[in-house]
Amino acid sequence: MKYWEDFKVGETADLGSCSPTEEQIMAFGRKYDPQPFHVDPEAARRSIFGGLIASGWHTCALMMRLSVEAAQREQAAATGSPGIDSCRWLKPVRPGDVLTGATEILETWPSRTRPIGFVRRRVEMVNQRGEAVLAIVGISMYRRRPA
Amino acid sequence: MKYFEDVEIGETTRFGRYEVTKEEIVEYARQFDPQPFHLDEEAARASMFGGLIASGWHTGAMFIRMVCASMIPGAATSGALGFDDLKWLKPVRPGDVLSVESVVREKIESRSRADRGTVKVESRILNQRDEAVMSLVSLVIYLRRPSAAS
Repeated sequence: MKYWEDFKVGETADLGSCSPTEEQIMAFGRKYDPQPFHVDPEAARRSIFGGLIASGWHTCALMMRLSVEAAQREQAAATGSPGIDSCRWLKPVRPGDVLTGATEILETWPSRTRPIGFVRRRVEMVNQRGEAVLAIVGISMYRRRPA
Repeated sequence: MKYFEDVEIGETTRFGRYEVTKEEIVEYARQFDPQPFHLDEEAARASMFGGLIASGWHTGAMFIRMVCASMIPGAATSGALGFDDLKWLKPVRPGDVLSVESVVREKIESRSRADRGTVKVESRILNQRDEAVMSLVSLVIYLRRPSAAS
């Protein structure tokens, strides 16, 4: 089990890759973010994006999926998140793009009131051309190593 | 159509209604956030949350659904750059009914693109007890009113 004490500032990790299909992009769009450029390829072509793009919230969800799988691989004692400092959707994500996640720990500190600690990390998703499409700085909580 | 010029700092809007179901919490979690307290009622009861709760990113997705339904029609928006200062303040549970309260905080003219600007909108997502479950500051892109000449 990886507890809060085991996370070190400067530690980096690869989160692996994923590739959203046109169908997945439109399914997420129809359910949560039905703006024309997320759900209608024809309307998307005429938009400022020039084609169908994923909802930014879908890109965040894909980042979360990769993060959760990585945390489960290292058996992290994860217990959720209080929030995100900043999130930028830097470039459009298009069907078939291959997104690779990477993360670096910026800061760690213990809770003063609960047996958990906090980890602030930067997470980036980069496409198959090496362009960053998503940049997040967020906080995660982990249980402390039992005494 | 509401353009960048028409947005006023301090403007407050209350909108949306989203009923959170157990089925949707689990479906979202299976796809994107497969942690026990989002997936499995039994495991969730044993967790620090004491029961099944929605993924925070799912709450974000429900927020943007309410924005799409209520705010975007009639507004000359063109997506968003992202957001700052997102806080997951309280658990969202099955049966909760969410709504949104948004306040316009700031308008920033684009230096590189004359046809648009960014509007900082602070939103609080509220449950049926008017408790804020999430808050964030969105950076929304608004197009500028086309000039008569163009």
